[in-house]
Amino acid sequence: MSKAPWVLLAVVVAVALVWAAWPEGGRSARERARDLAAELRCPDCEGLSVADSSTSSAHAIRADLLRRFRDGESDDDIRQEYVDRFGESILLNPEGGGLGVLVWGLPVLVLVVGAGGLALALRRWRREPAMRATRADEELVARARAERVDAP
Amino acid sequence: MRHPTRWIALGVAVVVVVVGVVLATQVGDDPRAETQRSQLVGHAAPSFSVKPLEGGTLTRADLAGRTVIVNFWNTWCAPCRAELPDLKRFWARHRDDPSVAFVGIVRDDGESAVREYVAAEAIDWTIARDPAARAALDFGTRGQPETFAISPEGVIAGAQIGPSSVRDLEVMLDAARGEPR
Repeated sequence: MSKAPWVLLAVVVAVALVWAAWPEGGRSARERARDLAAELRCPDCEGLSVADSSTSSAHAIRADLLRRFRDGESDDDIRQEYVDRFGESILLNPEGGGLGVLVWGLPVLVLVVGAGGLALALRRWRREPAMRATRADEELVARARAERVDAP
Repeated sequence: MRHPTRWIALGVAVVVVVVGVVLATQVGDDPRAETQRSQLVGHAAPSFSVKPLEGGTLTRADLAGRTVIVNFWNTWCAPCRAELPDLKRFWARHRDDPSVAFVGIVRDDGESAVREYVAAEAIDWTIARDPAARAALDFGTRGQPETFAISPEGVIAGAQIGPSSVRDLEVMLDAARGEPR
């Protein structure tokens, strides 16, 4: 059997792995700039991303992102640079922290504690002896019934 | 602990403590407050390059060794117009001091509108345009007016988001000069 199909398969797998493992997924600078612009909040407008805004700041940021990506900077470095300059609020979806951790973490904590309590309770119930009537119990009940029937 | 109720009580106590600690550390930490202060105070000022109305290019390097007040503004901005009298009073006190420079950087106005406004208001500090809003971006501005005080060593010593009073400007100037108030 020819080895050619196996070699071809190996090449395809290798290319796919390189593509997947490449930090920026092989995207162009323009695509990366557009994606990051969608993550950043327009500094001088309310609730709009840099990608969606037409203010001079948004124009300047889009141009800056494109220039930085073309210069080879990474997404994380650029994102961090903007956080350093504007604060976390420049991110439309800020990193978890502070009250955010409380809001998201508290229900999980309550669930874990509740599940733990339930598991302990179930374990305890399992350990409790089964309540079955013994022969002596049955005889006692039978005697009591007989006495009741015999009573005037 | 043999009794599940004790475990549950412990769990509740842990939750209460966690909530208490998080709330205690977050008191006064309003995320929106972040937008009311510059992140750059205490850091090196950006190496801006702007275009003065009188021509040429003005960079931070040109102002090295001087205390610099940088004011971002626009002619159409009402709060900028509101702070103008204070800017004038402040500059009247310091215009003869060669160790102080005052630069008004126009964020995104047309040149003719700026020239007209500067002439009408007799503004006598350096007014410069900011091509492609590069300086405004590098200073992390969120709008106008925003004012920064840069020390002679090139560090941002103070920032004011919104209109500045004479007192605000003097406080920033003193901070930039390293003079306690």
